[in-house]
Amino acid sequence: MPPTAAAVELKQLSKSFRVGRPRGTGVGARLRDLFSRDIQTVAAVDKLSFSIAPGERVAFIGPNGAGKSTTLKMLAGILQPDAGDVRVLGLVPSRQRRQLAFQIGTVFGQRSQLWYQLPPRDTFELLGRVYEIEPRAHRRRIDTLSSVFELGTLVNTPVRHLSLGERMRCEIVASLLHSPRMLFLDEPTIGLDVSAKAMIRELLWTESERDRVTLLLTSHDTGDMERVCSRAIVINHGRLLWDGPISALRRTYLKAKRVTLWSEAERLELMLPGVRVLSSGSYRTELEIALEITPLGQVVDAALRQAAIRDMAIEDAPLDEVIRALYAASPPEGVSS
Amino acid sequence: MTAAQCAKYVAFARISATQARRERSELYGRMVFFAVILGVFSSLWRAVAEAGMPVAADPRSLVWYLAATEWILLSAPPIHIEIQEAIRRGDVVYRLGHPASFVLAEFATGFGVLVVRAPILGLTACLCAFAFTGWMPPLTALLIVVPFGFVASTLIMALCLGIGLLAFWLQDVAPVYWVWQKLMFVLGGLMLPLALYPAFIQQAAVFTPFPSLLAAPASFVLGTSLVTPGALIRSLILWSGVTAFAVGWMFRRAIARVTINGG
Repeated sequence: MPPTAAAVELKQLSKSFRVGRPRGTGVGARLRDLFSRDIQTVAAVDKLSFSIAPGERVAFIGPNGAGKSTTLKMLAGILQPDAGDVRVLGLVPSRQRRQLAFQIGTVFGQRSQLWYQLPPRDTFELLGRVYEIEPRAHRRRIDTLSSVFELGTLVNTPVRHLSLGERMRCEIVASLLHSPRMLFLDEPTIGLDVSAKAMIRELLWTESERDRVTLLLTSHDTGDMERVCSRAIVINHGRLLWDGPISALRRTYLKAKRVTLWSEAERLELMLPGVRVLSSGSYRTELEIALEITPLGQVVDAALRQAAIRDMAIEDAPLDEVIRALYAASPPEGVSS
Repeated sequence: MTAAQCAKYVAFARISATQARRERSELYGRMVFFAVILGVFSSLWRAVAEAGMPVAADPRSLVWYLAATEWILLSAPPIHIEIQEAIRRGDVVYRLGHPASFVLAEFATGFGVLVVRAPILGLTACLCAFAFTGWMPPLTALLIVVPFGFVASTLIMALCLGIGLLAFWLQDVAPVYWVWQKLMFVLGGLMLPLALYPAFIQQAAVFTPFPSLLAAPASFVLGTSLVTPGALIRSLILWSGVTAFAVGWMFRRAIARVTINGG
């Protein structure tokens, strides 16, 4: 593949599932369900198109059932698309799955590829064989990644004795052993505590930066997206809602700022259009300001007219809210019988 | 298949054997179960013989027959449970994503457990049967039972793999396994040599793989074997081929199923 080619390229990718649904709760409906189900076709992915350049770190965002995991499975060659084209590292995943498997890594946060009763080193050695890696090079790779991911004695500790965060670090190492050019991560920080999350994010960013590994990360945790990725692809009902830099996502969809004022007065009364008082009292007032309606300066002027301001903090609304607004604006799911 | 590809499956078998050696409690459970079963049946056959009821074989050799059939059965790991759990948990996405055959990897994984269990359970079978009967079949008979029993155990495991693949369609494969297992108990002659069964069962059993899996390998300890070694080799090859074809076909269908209904 020429170096300028996209690492991932999707064109009009579609995938539907046939789902049996109960006809109703009545006795007749249940009896009929015993003999024939009411089959409906649900579009999991609907004409999805995007491309990812080599070395990019992309957050793949969507609510539950948006089609993220289905897309990832099609990219890994586990599922076959119904229509459209998909190429990963120049290969067609559904036709060249094994060839592609040598070049991609996958991490599924709620799944495990480590052998539960054995230390991770045993799984690492198995994967060396599975990926046909020369044994000496493989041992060096295990040592390098163990050092980067600070595994230390964990590689020799049975998996059942590891904490979730430790296990997840081992899972990521397992996925990187064959030096993949592309890494698909599905909720890699799910269930982890704050410090374990921070560590995983930092390690993913560093690994991708150092080896120019392309990352496609799905997560419900906006912290993962912001710390690791520079670009976001948002989908809902299998359709593309947004594709661009995370900073642009904020700028485009962020019509409001969160402002906290610490004043000499115990509470401030700010009855301005586009200003919502989120909390007020104890010399602290928290506001949400729709900047298109009322400029920030006008709000500050109004506050200063009531009391002296001792301090002020201005924040963007959380990315969660931006994404929620995006989902809310998306058209409903397509279901056909 | 290249040497590197073979090495993958050897590695699956090796790691699985390592894990099986660590999971001793299950093996100990099987050994205790084995001893209890043989103890109960040796008492039963003794009582039958003392009551003067007609038994077509020496009660001592019947205990050794049961030891052989149980050894074959208990050595085969129930890999359908592991496959079903992997599908339920979703871990199957990792296994399907590896550059290795899912079916061969599962087979090798099961085989790793089998090579740990079979010698230990075999030794348990011999010790218990000898302790309960004070008698041993000719060594030549035992030497014939061992390789045939090992192959039969492997084939039972391969059939379990096929049952496990049904988890791509069914929520729970246990009912299918139970039906299959009960058929094997009856038509395979688990407790009694097939020669002691009614004629219609013997005739029905001929059309199934079960006699080749249990009754035929075990019957060598009776002195009057069900089939000749040559005929048993042919039968095991035939049923291995049928099983391999069926499992391969099912897996291709299963993958199509994943495509239709999602992972």
